[in-house]
Amino acid sequence: MEEILTKMINEIMNKKGSQSVVELKTDASLRNDYGFDSLDLAELTVRIEDEFGVDIFEHGNVDTISEILKRLGANE
Amino acid sequence: MNKFFWIDKQRGIAKTYIDLIRDLMSIKSVPHFLNHDNPYELYVSLLASVVFSRNVDIVDSDLSRTEKENLGISKNHDYEMDFSELAEGIGSPEKLMNLVSSAAGGWRLGIYTSGTTGRPKRIEHTMESLTRACKIGDRYCDNVWAFAYNPTHFAGLQVFFQAFLNLNTIVYIFETTPSRILPTIEENSVTHISATPTFYRSFVFAGEKVNERVLGVTMGGEKFDTSLAERISSIFPNARIRNIYASSEAGSLFASTGDVFTIPTRFSGKVLIGDDGELLIHKSLLGISDDIILEGEWYHTGDVVERLDENNFRFISRRTEMINVGGYKVNPHEVEKAIREIEGVIDVRVFGRSNRVTGNIVMAEIVAKNAEVKPYIESEISKLNKHFQSWKVPRIVNFVDLIEQTRTGKKVRK
Repeated sequence: MEEILTKMINEIMNKKGSQSVVELKTDASLRNDYGFDSLDLAELTVRIEDEFGVDIFEHGNVDTISEILKRLGANE
Repeated sequence: MNKFFWIDKQRGIAKTYIDLIRDLMSIKSVPHFLNHDNPYELYVSLLASVVFSRNVDIVDSDLSRTEKENLGISKNHDYEMDFSELAEGIGSPEKLMNLVSSAAGGWRLGIYTSGTTGRPKRIEHTMESLTRACKIGDRYCDNVWAFAYNPTHFAGLQVFFQAFLNLNTIVYIFETTPSRILPTIEENSVTHISATPTFYRSFVFAGEKVNERVLGVTMGGEKFDTSLAERISSIFPNARIRNIYASSEAGSLFASTGDVFTIPTRFSGKVLIGDDGELLIHKSLLGISDDIILEGEWYHTGDVVERLDENNFRFISRRTEMINVGGYKVNPHEVEKAIREIEGVIDVRVFGRSNRVTGNIVMAEIVAKNAEVKPYIESEISKLNKHFQSWKVPRIVNFVDLIEQTRTGKKVRK
C-alpha cells in the first residue's frame, strides 16, 4: 500500500518538477512538506479512490501520510 | 482616524487610509488596462480611475497570453491625471469614500469572465452594479475583511468595495500559504471572510484553534458543502455562514444560510425559473456587454434549480458541460481541441471527475494511434500548461480503445 502511495505522490511531484520522495515519512504534510496545492490533493484523492475504492476526504480533511494510511485502513 | 486600509504581509505592505490618499495624490497617470501584479497598486489605480471618471478595464490575471491577444487587450494607453486639483476633495478618508461613491455616475469598469462557454467575455459594470450587494452603515464600520479572491475577479471587487465603502481594513490572504491563513486571520483581528469553498477547504482543516472574532463567513462560486460549513462553524463559532449566488454577468443576486436561496422582493419580476428548471435573469440586472446572449429580455444562466415554493429554490446542477474546478469554469471542448492537435491522438474525451477538494478535476480519455505514441502524448499534455491555466490541463489521462457516446452521439461527460 505504501509503495503504491509513494508512486502516486512521486508522479504528482515529478509533474510539478519537484524531486521524487524516496521514502514516505508518516508525519510528513502533503501541503507543507511536499508542496501540494489543491489541484495536487484533488488528483491524489481521485487516484487513491480509483486504486483502493476509498474517498480519503469523506470524513474530513487529511494532510499527513499517516492520516491517509489510517483512512485506507493500513493501521487497523 | 488613521485606520489600516490594506495589509499584505507577503509583499510587506501595511497601508493606512492616509497612506492611500498620499499614494493616490502621487499618481500622474493610469493605464486603460489595469494589469498589476500588486493588488494594492491595482486598487489604487482603480480608485484613481473612479475619481477622474475614466473608464478602465481590469485585466483578469488568469487570462492566457493568447486570450489577451484575442480580446485585443495587449495594446494599452494611459490617462493623465492631475490630483493637485482635487487635493481638497480627497483630504480625508471619508471625503475620498464619498467622492468615489458619488463621482461614479458615468464611470464604467470592464472585467473579463470565463462565462458559460469558457470563451472570455468582457462585461462592463457601473458602480451601481458593482456595489449592489454592498451593505454600508455605522454597524459595519469596525469590520476587518480577509481578502481571499483573485483581485481581478468580480468577487474580489465586491469584497473590495464592501470594505472600502465602510472604510474597513482589508487583509489580503489570497496568496497566503494555507498554514499561515488562520494565524494571519487571528493576528489581524479579521471579522469577515468571503471565499470559495475550495479556498476554505485549503485552511480550515489545518488548525484546531477556535477563533471567536470572526463574525461573518461567506461562500460562493461552487455547490454548497454542508460538511465544510460544519467545520467552518467549529473553527469560527460566532460566524454567520452565508452562501452567495453571484455571477460576473449580474453580480451578487441571492444569499442564504444553507442551500436554499430566496428571491428578494426587490428582484420581483426580474428572476424567473423556466419550465425546464433553468434560472433566468432579467437584462436589467446584468452588466453591459455585447458578449452576453439574451433570449428576449432574459439571460439564461445555465443553472438548473429546484423550485421549492414561490420565492425559494435550491441548486441542482449546471446545464452546460462546463467543468467547475474550484470555482473556475473549464470548457471541455477547448481542452479537447488542443489535445486533438497532438500527433497520434485519434479521439479524446475531456470530462470532470468529482472530488471533495476542488469539486472537480479535469480528466481525459484518449484513443491513441498505437501504444508507441502514448508517452509522447502524455508529455505533450503536460506541456499544455504553457497555453492553458493550470486547472484546465487534464490531471489524469487514461488511454482507451473507444470513447463512450450517448444515444444522440454526444460524448458522455459525467
